[in-house]
Formats: sequence, C-alpha cells, structure tokens
Amino acid sequence: MVSAFAMWRNKKLADQALISRRRMLRESALGFGSLAAASMLVEASFGSGGQVLVSPHFAPRARRVIFLFMKGGPSHMDTFEPKPMLDRDDGKPLPFDKPRVQFAPTGNLLRSPWKFRNYGESGSAVSDLFPHVGQCVDDICFLHGVHGTNAAHGGALLKLHTGSDTFVRPSMGSWVSYGLGTENKNLPSFITICPTLAHGGVKNWGSAFLPASTQGTPLGVASRPSTEATMKYVQNNNALSDVQRSQLDLLSEMNREFNGAMGPHDELEARLKSFELAYRMQSEMPEAQDLTRETTATKALYGMNDAKTEDFGRQCLLARRFAERGVRFIQVTHSNTDVQWDQHSKLKEGHEQNALEVDKPIAGLLRDLKSRGLLDDTLVLWAGEFGRTPTAQGTDGRDHNPYGFTVWMAGGGVRGGYHHGSTDEYGFYAKTGKVHVHDLHATLLHLLGLDHERLTYRYSGRDFRLTDVGGQLVPEILA
Amino acid sequence: MRRVVSICSLLAIASILWIDQCVAIEPEQDGIVFFETKIRPLLAQHCYECHGAGEQEGELRLDRYGDVIRGGKSGSAVVPGKADASLLITAVKYTDNDLQMPPDDKLDKTQIADLISWVNMGAPHPDAGEERKMGVQSNRPMPFDQVALEHWAFQPPREPALPAVQNSAWPHSPIDVFLLHRLESAGIRPAKAVDRRTLIRRATFDLIGLPPTIEEVDAFLSDQAPGAFERVVDRLLASPHYGERWGRHWLDVARYADSNGLDENAAHANAWRYRDYVIHSFNEDKPYDEFVREQLAGDLLASEDPHVRNERLVATGFLSLGPKVLAEPDKTKMEMDIIDEQIDTIGKAFLGLALGCARCHDHKFDPITTRDYYALAGIFKSTHTMDSFETIARWHEHELFDEKFEQEKATHEAQLAARQGELDELIAEATASLQEQLGASAALPAKPEESFPEETREKLKASREAIARLTKEPPRAPTAMGVQENAACDLAIHIRGSHLTLGEIVPRGLPAALVSAASVSIPADASGRLALAEWIASQENSLTARVLVNRVWRWHFGRGLVETTDNFGLKGTLPSHPELLDWLAHTFVSDGWSIKRLHRRIMLSAAYQLSSDYDAESAELDPRNELLWRSNIRRLEAEELRDTVLAITGQLDTTMAGPAIEIENYTLVFNHTSMDETKYDSPRRSVYLPVIRNHLHDSFTLFDYTDASLPNGNRSTSTVASQALYLMNSDFLAAIAGKLADRMFSVGLASEADRVDWLYQTALCRPAKEGEIIRALEFLERFDRVADGEGQAAQRHTAWQLFCQALVISNEFVYVR
Repeated sequence: MVSAFAMWRNKKLADQALISRRRMLRESALGFGSLAAASMLVEASFGSGGQVLVSPHFAPRARRVIFLFMKGGPSHMDTFEPKPMLDRDDGKPLPFDKPRVQFAPTGNLLRSPWKFRNYGESGSAVSDLFPHVGQCVDDICFLHGVHGTNAAHGGALLKLHTGSDTFVRPSMGSWVSYGLGTENKNLPSFITICPTLAHGGVKNWGSAFLPASTQGTPLGVASRPSTEATMKYVQNNNALSDVQRSQLDLLSEMNREFNGAMGPHDELEARLKSFELAYRMQSEMPEAQDLTRETTATKALYGMNDAKTEDFGRQCLLARRFAERGVRFIQVTHSNTDVQWDQHSKLKEGHEQNALEVDKPIAGLLRDLKSRGLLDDTLVLWAGEFGRTPTAQGTDGRDHNPYGFTVWMAGGGVRGGYHHGSTDEYGFYAKTGKVHVHDLHATLLHLLGLDHERLTYRYSGRDFRLTDVGGQLVPEILA
Repeated sequence: MRRVVSICSLLAIASILWIDQCVAIEPEQDGIVFFETKIRPLLAQHCYECHGAGEQEGELRLDRYGDVIRGGKSGSAVVPGKADASLLITAVKYTDNDLQMPPDDKLDKTQIADLISWVNMGAPHPDAGEERKMGVQSNRPMPFDQVALEHWAFQPPREPALPAVQNSAWPHSPIDVFLLHRLESAGIRPAKAVDRRTLIRRATFDLIGLPPTIEEVDAFLSDQAPGAFERVVDRLLASPHYGERWGRHWLDVARYADSNGLDENAAHANAWRYRDYVIHSFNEDKPYDEFVREQLAGDLLASEDPHVRNERLVATGFLSLGPKVLAEPDKTKMEMDIIDEQIDTIGKAFLGLALGCARCHDHKFDPITTRDYYALAGIFKSTHTMDSFETIARWHEHELFDEKFEQEKATHEAQLAARQGELDELIAEATASLQEQLGASAALPAKPEESFPEETREKLKASREAIARLTKEPPRAPTAMGVQENAACDLAIHIRGSHLTLGEIVPRGLPAALVSAASVSIPADASGRLALAEWIASQENSLTARVLVNRVWRWHFGRGLVETTDNFGLKGTLPSHPELLDWLAHTFVSDGWSIKRLHRRIMLSAAYQLSSDYDAESAELDPRNELLWRSNIRRLEAEELRDTVLAITGQLDTTMAGPAIEIENYTLVFNHTSMDETKYDSPRRSVYLPVIRNHLHDSFTLFDYTDASLPNGNRSTSTVASQALYLMNSDFLAAIAGKLADRMFSVGLASEADRVDWLYQTALCRPAKEGEIIRALEFLERFDRVADGEGQAAQRHTAWQLFCQALVISNEFVYVR
C-alpha cells in the first residue's frame, strides 16, 4: 500500500500539467475551448479583445471549414464522375460480384439520365445537374475514390460525422473546436445550420466525451425553413434590454459576494463571466444572422431571389457570414421532410429537384468566398453519407453505395481542378486513389494544421482520435 | 503475486491436460479404418481442390494431419474430441453465416454426421502419432506482464489497520482517521465544522436532490439533543425521494434511456419499468450484490412470488438498454456490436474495466485477453437479447405477470369459449334440422351449411365475425425490455474484431487473470450469465465493492477516491487514499452490501461535515483539495436545478413511477421530419421525464446531464455561455420567476423587506442580511424608473419577477456548499 501511494504520487506529478490542462478545458472553459492554449482561455474569452488563434501542430492551410452536407446520398455517377461504360452496358448485369452486404437488392446496370460537360481550364466533367458548380471546377478538388463502411443512412451519417458507425464518438466539428478553439470569443466555435435530427441526430454534432464547449450549436432543424434557423435562447422575450442589464448587474454583485467567501475558484469565476459573454452573444449572434446588411446582388448570387434556391441560399450565405466572423466549423445541411438525396426510385425527378436547390447557392458561396479572399483559408467540403449504386433499384432508382463515391473540397489548401482516384468502370467500388472516411478526416485535420494522430483525448483509460486507429493523409490533393 | 502463480500453474495444468487428452486418444485401429473409409475420401472429393497440395485458400491445408490441427488463417480446423469447437464442423454445418464450406454445396447429413463422429473420436489419423511427437499443442504465452497482474485493483481488499493521528479529538469515524493521517503528514489542518443551515442544505440535496423546506431547516436548528444530524440523515434515507436521487445516479451508469438513439431512434416505451425498478431497489436498500445479480441474470434467479419474478425480469433490462445500430445491414456485425456494448457496459459499470478494448486485440494495459473477451462474448451470444435483426431490428421484451391482465385474459378466453359454444350449438341445431328435413337415413351434403336457411347462414356469419374480432384483439400482457437464455454456444475469436476472420473457438468463461480456478463453472447448456453474475457479485471479486463505494464517495464529495470512477485498470488514476477505499469496501461487504448504511457511515464522519471555507495556507499545500481539508462545493445537477425551482414555486408534482413517453413501443421518436413530439411539460421530478437519446431535453444537455448512451459515473461540470443564455432568456425560467413572485405575494407578508427575507429563506435556506434587503429594495426602485408603459402593480410584479430570477440563477442558489 505504501508503494501504491508512492506510485500514485509519482504518476500525479507526471500527469500534473496534463490534468490541469484538461480540467481547465472540461470545467472552466467559458466559451469555446482550445487544446493548445487552455491557459490563455479565460483571458482569451474575456480579455481586451482581439482575435484568438491558437497555434496548431503545424502551419495550417485552412483556418475554418464549411461543410455542405447532402443528406441521403447523392449519386456520384450522375453528378461528378461520368461512367461511359454505364451508357454502353445499360440494362446488362453487373459483370462482377455485388458486395457481401447490401442495403437492398438491385438489378442490372442503369445508365445516367444526364449528360456530362467539360468545364474550366481543367476540363473537369460535371453533369447537367450542376451547371453552376461546373463553372467553379478549377477551384474544386474531386475525390472519386472515397469509401465508407455502412450501407444504411444512420451508420453512414455517424461514420462520416464522427468516424464511427459502431460507438458514440465526438463529431469532427467538435474535434476541430477542441483542437483549435474559436477565433471569435462571442460566437460558438461550431455551428450547424438546419441539421437533421434523424440518423444519429445530435450525435452528428455532439461532443460525446470531449468538453461540452466543443459541441455544435444547432440553428433550426432540417424540416423547418432556414428563416427559422436561430440559436435558442439568444433572445429575451420577457425583458427590455436595459432592464436585463440592471438584472445582470444585480446578479453579478450577488455572485461576486458568494465567490469571495469561497476563495479563488476557477469554476465560480467562469460562471460569473459566462453571463457577460452570454450578454454579448445576445447582440453578436443576431448581427451575424442579419441578412438585411447584404446587398441584393449578393443575395442573388446565392439564389435568394428564387423560391427554389432561396432556402438553401440563405443557409450558404449565413455560413459565409459565420466564416467571416471567425466561427471555426460551420455545417450546412441539405435535407428536408420530403426531399433528400435518397432516390431509391425516381432518380431523375428527385436528383433534379435536389440539385436545382443547391447548385446555384453552392456556386454562389464559392464565388463569394473567393471574391472576399476567404476561400484561401476556408476549406469547403461537399459530401453525402455515401454514393449510389450503378445498378438499378426497381426501374428508375439507385440504392445506397458506401463502397465508392465522390466527395469534393474547395479552397483552404487543396488542388483546384484536380481529380483524385476513381471508382471502377461502372462506379460500384472505389478502385484507384482510395480514400477511406478516416483518410478524409485525417486530411481535413491536416489542412487545418492538426496531426490526426496527435489530436487525442484521454477517455476511459485510453487516448481517442477522430480517426480511431486508421486514417492516412492524402498528400496528392494538397495544393 | 499469489494470483500470478495460480494463473501460471493453471496454464501448466491446462497444457498437461491437453497432452493427456492426446495420449488418451491413442489411435484405435477402428478409428483409422473409419478415417480411411469415410473421411479421407470425403475430404479429397470436397475439400482438396482449394485446401490441398495445390491451393491452400485461407492458408488451410486438409490433406495432411498436422495442417488440419494447425489450421489456417482462422485458426485450428479441428480440435480432436471436440466437434463443437472445431471450425471444420462449424463450416460444414452451415450454421455460421460467414463460414460455410464447401461454398457451393452443403454436404449431406450423413457426411456431416461422419465428420462430427470422426472429430469426437479424437480425429484418429494414421499420422497422428508422428505429429504428437513433434509436439502439436496449444501454447499460449502470457500476453501481459507481471505489472498488470500486480496492479492494486486486482488484489483483494483487506481490512487495513487504522493509522496513528495526533489530533484524536477531530475524527468521528475511521474515515476521518484515514483522512486526517494524510492531512497531518502534509501539515494541513482540516477546516472547521460547517454550520447547521449549510449542513442540512448539503445533506438534503445530496440524498434526495431537493432543498430542505423552511420548516425542516428550523426543526434542525432547534433540535439541540445529541444525534440531531443523524436523525436528519435517517429521515432523508427513509424518504421515497432518496431512491429518485440515487436511482438516477445508477441510471447514469446504466446508460438508461427511453429511446435507442444511434441510427434509428426507436422508442423504448417500456424502459421506464427498469427505471422504476432501480428507484425502488434504492429505496428498499436492496443489498448491492443482489442488485448486481438481478440486473445480469434476474431471469435465471428462482422465485415463487410472481411479483419478485417480474422485478427480476425487469432488472435484466440493464443488458438491453444500450444503443444499437438497428438498421445495420450486416446482421452478424449488428449482433456482435450489441454483445460488445453489453460487455463494455458491464465492465465499466460493475468492474471499472474497459473490457471492450479486448475485442480486437489483447487489452493494451489490463490483463484482459482477446480470448477472455470472446469467452465473455460467448455468454452473450448464448443470451437472447434481440427478437429480430431485420431492419429495423427488435429487442426482446419479457411478458410480465399482471393480475389485471390475468383477469382480462380469463374474461377474454371465457368470451371466446362462449361465442364458440354458441356457434357450435347453432351449427348442431341447424344440421339436426337439416337432417330432419332430408329424412333420418339420408346422407348430408358435403357442405351442409350451404343448405342451411338464409337466416341461419347470416347468424353463422355474424357469430364467426365476432369470434374473429375477439381472436384478433386479445388482451396484451405488460412487457419489459430484458434478456433470456439462448441456445448455448461458444464463439470463435474474431481476429482484429472482425466477424469475417474467425480464429480459434473459445469456451464461454470469465476473464482468466481475474478469476480463481474454482469459481468458474458454466454448465454446457447454460449461457454462463449466472456464473458471471455470481462472480461479479461475490466478495472474492477485488473490484466490485471497491468500484461501488468509490461511486458513492464520488456522488457525495464530487470526486472519487479513484478519480476515474469507471476505470480501475492500469490507465485509471490511482486511489488518493487506498487504505480508506479498502476500509470502505471491506466494511460495505461485511455489512451486507447495504448502500444506505454506507451513506450513514460517510455522512456521519467529520469529513462530510467540514465547511467549504477557504484557507490560503491549506490551498497552497493542496490546491485541488485532494486530501479533503475542506468541503468541495458542487453545482446542482441538471435534474436538481429543475426540480428545485419547481419545488420552491410549489409546482412540483411528486407522483412516483410510470411511463415516460406516449409513443408506441419500437416506433421512431422522429424520422426524416426531424420533428420531436416528445413532451417535457410535466411538472414531475426530472427522473421521470423522457430521456431521448440524440435529442435530450435542453435543460439536460446544457447542464451536463449524462449522454445516456455511455455508462457515466462521473458527470462533468462545464460552465459555458449557452447555460447563461438559457437561464437569462428561456420561457421556463421566466415562468418560474413569475410563479415564485406569485407565491411570495400569496404568503401574506407585511413588508417588502419581509418578502425579500422570505425569498432568501425559500431559495437559499437562510435569512436575508440587512445589506441584501436594502440592495433588493434599491433594485426594485431602480426598476420602477427603467420600466414604463405599464400599470403600477404589474410593473412591481415584473420587478419582483426579475429579482426572483436573479436569485434562482445566482451562484449561491445553484451551488451546494
């Protein structure tokens, strides 16, 4: 027992710095914590102002992420990876085995209903579903050999967002927040606009065992218009603001008295200050969401002058405004009650409607970011949870396909106009330049200056990573 | 050390047995003949093409005896004498989805039976003798080192001697002696004893999660007889609210939820029965060992009383409550993931061990091997948790005994019998009269009914419809989530955790390094859950009692003696006071595993009754207060905060027990619409509110409620701006503040100063100081000037409301000192 105590003391000494840093994050991170500069945190959140940028593991290529999530699984061979062999062999059986595990049975090969055109200097092929995005191809880096593990929406969403379709794990936005903190003390570091509550719901922006301060702040939900996408409790409906100010002054006085008797206490101090931060957020958040300050031309760029594109256009414009204000990770979700990218049947009608809703807003976002010089250090990620099968489900649909699909990135240090990898000649399996979801995460973190193997968190006796025990950087796509 | 020896000797014995077994199966001539006539031709015809001299798929070769025994990538193909443990047999029986050989055509029954007989005969083979000389035997080195085996938590707790202390006046109990010894060595003096007001507030929140009433505070202050605090503790332990508070702690550990979460958020509409079982068990101070046994194997514990039986069935809900990937297309993976979740939860909840780590590889730090893991996994493979794995998969529910249902069933059966009787009678009568019509000797038509009069046929139709209706809607018995036994079977080691690469089959069992040889005995036809439960709930287990007393310590003091409450392994923190931990564990077990008596022991110590006053000198020496020189302050937990504001505004509905959600069992709480229809407007205690995974109630999520998907015995306390926003701006808090002001006005107090004082007494359990009253009145006046456009009375009410709100969101309100 004596030796146990000695061991305990030694271990304590060794762990001292680590523990205090973690405790700091876990227990007194006021707004929005960061790994590397926990000691700066309180000061950073409440100091004299100025931006807080924490030193990452190495020089970052991007400082923030805008993740455009296409819920339901857009078809890669109908959008960004043309498959001429599908046209040739339309209606014939797939000449090789289908995967051992499939979501639903599918029949023979089904050609794409859309034509592809070459765009830009890179001559990248994009289908007629995305004429506006087509104009931006020279800024886009396509990853055609992405593959995941799960053929069901729930598992695939969780895999893409958290790296695990088996366990409850922190979301990538939380990892990024944990690693880099926020650049704006008055706004959350991770915001998700109109997220879906199905298929993992909150888990897809949750912090799991990471500090609660790293969790995503949801604005609205997928089934409601983006006009309703506001942060909960940021507005007071019951008191005038000057009245609330005097109430907070009273509260502050009471809290100070109580804290004084307890001696120096991080948590109590943090709580005292959290009300001041909240008070500032009350004005900053509505300002960030106030689109009346945008010009008609800008709104038109995002398609907000057209009923079809207005809703998603607003989400994209909000994303740009948050990016400008230093929010670290911004997710935008395209999904609502009826329309998802999940065309088990009526591929043509469904994908046409989906693409119409997002094409112009996405192109608008890319152009707007570029013209404001934001695209250089903003990484835009476009992905669904999986692609779709080249074989037909029913007569006019495609099933889920996690075995090979396309994801693209733009800005923030990636090679524009570049195509990495491919699926087989029909589009079923990732074949060359294979990029697993873990690899995608490793690369995303790398672009932000974070080493996915060093971005760890100790929980339940071991160090966890976004990439679990996998993940390899895809160096080819770096600019 | 003792244990290391015993394990090594166990392995030695195992090796000897293995060799003995080989010797025992000296190739009989009959056996060789059987092999040559039945088996070799069969292997040659069906197997050699892929597993012979030319090709060795999966690195397996079946044309040579040594290779058969050594096996291929997936491990040994044949375990002589054990058909059940032989992969060759598993493969030809086609019982495993992923291992079916020959791939195209299943062998016929005789051929399979021959192979089984051959293996069970000991796999006689002409070359067997040669191979044995070469030493084909199982040779398993210890995968972990001595350090792992000598780890403190794997040594049995002993009753430690009390250390010497200088200040013999301070300790009330051995707990204090252990603590004081360490404080004195560090040169720290414990803080003074806490005042009575603070103490009763602390004790009341700790035990029942609610504040004391003004009357309870006054009664304690005026009770000058010895043992006044003891009486408070006993009163609180006897309160039914005790189980609501402490049951909720356990529900954190049990990752309790009213929906599945993960991919498909199906409603656990009957999970509440488990929640009520837990609350009830805490209230009746069920011995912890029994509580453990019931949750792991309640269905296997004999009981005559149907209500006890119900309780035990419900208890097994513990094993079924985990989040599951219900739409996982790979069904084998789904099953293994569910089993993994069960093993991991059991490890963390009862043993403080991350057993799940050994799914893919031997545990990197703790003495748990992959073999141990799959020995445990076999127990849960042999346990029936799911009724169906088809999307959306369904978990099993037990039918419960219920008097009302029995009556309804009897009534229903009687009704059915009566209807049937009527029908039979009708047919008999009609047939008789038809016979009469046709003449006694005439034969009846093939379908006599067709010749019945129209009116009779109408009656028959109506009668049959009535019977069909009754049959279609039988009364339904109440059900509860839970598990039962499945056909017993052993699992193969899943190499790197994948069900696609199977290795050696391991018999069901318990972690070898942690179990003494004598205590493992799993009958061939049993899952082994009972043996597992008995082992965990036994005082031989070095972890169970320690983990539990440490949990209770954590929930009283805010930090465990072992800080990592759910991990006692090598990567967990070491105990700050190892002797105290052992003393608590030892006393707990010898005192009949009573948790209520453990509370008394802790709360009657001087340590529990310390004040939280700051002392610069002590803080210098022990800034984190690890030696416990003062009381830690703690923030009210999410439930306490909500329950308390409901209580002090007179709104709290103290009804106990019952369903949490109105949604039909198994249906999705929300689907593509992303609309959550769950209702949280009930004024009942928070423990009865729905726990919807992936979409917890805001007031839970914001205030560090457990995730409800992972076992958690150590909630964190984060302080973030979004909490402040909720407290400042939510309609709930505004309504609470309004109600508190209403209640204050309704009490009939003479002056504004009295009102302020009443609010302080009600909210903070103390009278207001003069300066506080003056400040409050100034605030109200200042507000008069700020607000405009309203009538005087309404304006005043709003001012009071804002004051009330400030009070209930203040640090003094939300912290327990």
